Order: sequence, then structure tokens, then C-alpha cells
Amino acid sequence: MRTGRSTAERGTVRGAAGKPERGTVRGAAARTKTPLTYGRLARRTTVVVISLLWALPTWLLVVNALVPAAEYGGTPHWWPQGFGLFDNMSEAWTQAHLGPAMGNSLLYAVTSAGAAIVVATTAAFATVVMPVKHKTLWFWLIYSGTLLPLQVFLRPLFLAFADTGLYDAQFGLFLVYAAIAIPFAYFIMRNFALTLPPEVIEAARIDGASWWRMFWQIHVPLSKSAMVAAFVFQFVAVWNDLLFGITLSTSRNIRPVMAALAELQGNYSNVGPPVVLGGALLVSLPTVVLFFSAQRFFVSSLKLHG
Amino acid sequence: MSTSLDRQPQPLPPSAETAPRPGPAAAGAVRRPPRRLRDRVAGAGFLAPAVLLVGALLLAPFAATLYRSFFDDRRISGFAGLDNYTLFLTDPVLSRSVQNTLMWVVGTVALPLVLGLGIAVLTDGARWSRTARLFVVLPYAISGSAVAVVWNFILNTEGAANQVLRAFGLGSLAQGWLLEWPGNTLVMIVANTWQSAGVAVILFLVGLQTIPPETVEAASLDGAEGWRKFWYVILPQLRTVSVIVIGTSLVNGLKSFDLIWVLTQGGPGRQSETLAVSMYQETFLALRPGAGAAVAVALTVIVLFASWLYLRRQLTPKGD
Repeated sequence: MRTGRSTAERGTVRGAAGKPERGTVRGAAARTKTPLTYGRLARRTTVVVISLLWALPTWLLVVNALVPAAEYGGTPHWWPQGFGLFDNMSEAWTQAHLGPAMGNSLLYAVTSAGAAIVVATTAAFATVVMPVKHKTLWFWLIYSGTLLPLQVFLRPLFLAFADTGLYDAQFGLFLVYAAIAIPFAYFIMRNFALTLPPEVIEAARIDGASWWRMFWQIHVPLSKSAMVAAFVFQFVAVWNDLLFGITLSTSRNIRPVMAALAELQGNYSNVGPPVVLGGALLVSLPTVVLFFSAQRFFVSSLKLHG
Repeated sequence: MSTSLDRQPQPLPPSAETAPRPGPAAAGAVRRPPRRLRDRVAGAGFLAPAVLLVGALLLAPFAATLYRSFFDDRRISGFAGLDNYTLFLTDPVLSRSVQNTLMWVVGTVALPLVLGLGIAVLTDGARWSRTARLFVVLPYAISGSAVAVVWNFILNTEGAANQVLRAFGLGSLAQGWLLEWPGNTLVMIVANTWQSAGVAVILFLVGLQTIPPETVEAASLDGAEGWRKFWYVILPQLRTVSVIVIGTSLVNGLKSFDLIWVLTQGGPGRQSETLAVSMYQETFLALRPGAGAAVAVALTVIVLFASWLYLRRQLTPKGD
């Protein structure tokens, strides 16, 4: 865990500098000095119990996704038995048509999140760097999108999409996901832009650079880390969406992955629990991998957010 | 977000826009449109994509839903005033939905707050507890739909929960967890907590790291230890983070759709719906778009109020 390590690192650094630091003192005490008091024992026990409780559903998910579907006798397994994970996953893959669904979600997540980040970054550039009027108005106009619950957009979008041929079309879902991703991405990018030194842009402006040039050659390179953080956030959000997936699409070659998983869950008793769990595991892998590889960005942008 | 909204970086040089100056700037101004106009056009160009997309796909639909909520659901719908909103008082399904939403709000605010704080404090600064933290944060990376699949496996009649109860001789307690109200709403809140406590843990760990160690040291020197130190020294300094945790879990709890939809579809008999699910049911399945719009607007009002409660705090400039 990233945050854990940074605490430990901070402890070492401060400790080396000769200042008293709680991390070092407490850490050292926990390892060697103080005997195991009742309080410490209670604390450790609590942590162990909590982590076991938390790990249990994950454990059940993995163990039962491993059970070959044919050998599943109707009750949950608690220990691994046989190895049918890949069979279960491929069964889920074909039964729920997860292949096209995951391809669709990948397409939506990458293109919508990407487009939203670019659009949000230009808007942040305009409202922070450029001499635009009514900045507060523009901020609230764009940011208000994150405050409204998604349910409030559903029916008008459904009707408008039905009228314009965007219903059950990849481009329609791309548009919706991009629009939903923009407000929060804008929030992150604007916060970040406010931390950039204005002198760099001013110097470029005196040199006669156009806004477009300043944006691409100075602002974007400086904002890259924040753009990555915002992209990861929005990728995960789009990948995990169910609501718009089931409202704005029906065809198997259009609908996103969570809609397919929900249908597989509806077939629970027919395909067998190991297959459903295998499918859930499969569709969770991209976000789990992305989340843990980008956790550093997550934590720093949450800090920014706070 | 501590920066004030009205920080306006000064365009350079300000005088070039108002007073014509000798030299190349003036020569340029003769041929091209004045700089201020060009800046304005460029600014509009940079802003337009975001404003147009948000306006057309989010704000306009919001306005349409608001408008629709004042019309009834007959074949040719007429103006209905607040009739759709009084359904919350008369329609038992919607009253139940309001009750469930309240339970979700309490459950999704209190549980992640207490558990997230507890886990963060207990595992902060101790190397051996890194694994424990991993277990708690992992479910946060899983989607609501996949979480629902896992918990269905635990909660259905042949599921793991009943199996455990029978193994411990408590078979009489085994039940269809998702079949009876209010039990089904409560267990779904537990499932939601399993997923969402992770983000509270991360936020509180970030908060704990921003506490200056000197204040904690000083408290220790003054003889404050254990519980007292936590209550009087650490907790007050986590107030800002707590506000963010409360705000985000409140809003996420209110909007929560996929977990309920995949687990129960709001059933049985629409008993486990929250407002977020009722809107979908009314609009797309019961084909009562007016009622659905009113539910969506009511949900919006609650979410906006909740957001205001914590944004008010976040948007207040600190220190300037």
C-alpha cells in the first residue's frame, strides 16, 4: 500500500534528522521495546479480525470462481477444489457475450475519458490562464454536472437519442460518458492549473505565442500528471457504469460490460454460480489492476481534492 | 480545494489593450483585430466544447426532467402542478422508497465514517498492518455490479451466510436475506459498506499524515495517551477530512443504483427500492414518466442539499 510506505518513509527520514517522530517511536516500540500490553494486543486483534472479515467475500469470490462449474453442488465452497477458473471465465465469456461487451466498455472508457480530459483541460486553461470574463459563472456551469444525480438525465437523453438515431449506438454512449466525465475532470484540471506558476505563460505571451501554442507546448506538458489522474478516475467510472448502459443500449454489440454482467447474474441458476463469479472476476480485473498501479495518482489527486 | 474562485491571473500587458503604443504592437493593431477581441474569441473557443457538451447533454436534460415533473401521466399529459410530488405521501411504494433512502443515507454515512476512521487510525504507521489495509481497499476497485454478484452469492438462500449459520448450529437464523424488508435494505447497506469503506480509509490516512507530529508529541509529553490522545488531539485535526468523507459517502449512497439493481431490482414487490431505483422503475418499467421525473427532481434536491453542506466548507477560502 502506497500510503503505508510513505508514512514509514517519512518516519525514517525524520528520525534520521534527529527529530522525535511518532512513526519511528511507535514503530520501534511495536517491534522491540515495549512488551505486548493488553491495549496493543486488543488493537492488533481488532485489525486482524477486521481484515479477515473484509477479505472473506473476496476469498469466497476467488475460491468459488475456481470451482469447476460441473462440480458445484449447490453450496458455497470454502477451500479451493479443482481448477476450473479459465473454463468458468470462458463460459461466462460466451454465455454473456462478455467479449464484445468488454471491447465496447474499453472503447467507451478510453475515448470518452480521453476526450473529456482534453475538453476539461482546455476549459481549465481558458478559465484560469486566459482573460475570459465571468469565470465563476463558467466554473459553476461546468462543475454543476457533478452535483446532479445521473437519474435526472436519463429520460430526456433516452428520448432525444431515440429521435436522433443515437439510441443503441456506440457514438451515443461515447457522447454521454464524455459529457458525464467532463465536470469532475474539469474540477481536477482547474485545481491543478491554479497551482501552476503564471510567469511561464506570461513569458510565452510576451514572445508572441498564440493561445493554441501556449496550450499545447506549455500548459499540457506541465499538466500531464494531473491529466493522467483524471483519466484514471474517469476510465474507472465509465467502465463501472450500469445505468446508462441498460438505458441507452440493448444490442449485444453496443452495450457495455456491466449490462452484460447484470444479465449473466439474472441467469444465476442456469449457468451456475462459479460461472457468474468467474465473469465478475474477469470484468473487475481491468479496474483492479489500473487502480493499484495508479494508486499514487489517486492519493495525490484526492489530496488535491481535499 | 482551498483556492478562491475569483483568482484572476492578470493578462499581460494590460496596457496594450487600452492604449495604443508605439512600435510593433501598434503596427500589428492596425492590420489585425485588436488583441482584446482576439483573446475573447480564443477564450470562447477553448471554453465552448466543455460548455456545449455539459449544457446539451446534462443541463438541458435536467431542465427537461424538471419541466416534465409538473405534468401528469395520462395519454395526452396535462399540467399537473405538484400532483407528482404528492405521490410521495400517497403512493406506498414511493413512501417505502423514501424510508429506504433514509436508511441508506444513515447507513452509508455512519458506517464508512466510523470504520474508515477506525481502520485508518489502527493501521497508520505500523508496517505489519499493510496487508490489512490492502484487504479493505481492494473492494473499492471493484464495480458495484461485481460487488452485487459476490454478495448475492453470500446472501441468497443457498448462500454462504446461511451456510455459516447452519455450521454454527444457528440454522434457525438462516433466512432469505434479500427477500424481506427491512432486512434486505440493511444487508445491502452492509454490502455497500464493504465496498466503500476503502475510500474513507484512504482519505483518513491522507488526513492523518497532514497532522503535524509536534502536536501529538506535545500531547504525549503532557501525559495524554491512548484513547485520550486520540479523542482530544488527533480527532479534532481530522475534521476537514471527516467532512469530505461524510459528503462523498452521502452523495454516493443517495445515488447508489447498480448494487440494488443487480441484487434485488428493488424487489421483492418494490420493497427495497431507493429513490435512485424508483426513478428508473417509474420511468422505464411502470411507464409513469411524470412520477419518475418528480422522483428524480426530489433526489436532485436532496443531493444538492447534501453537496452544499460539505461544499460550503470546502469552497470557503482558507487563509485568504
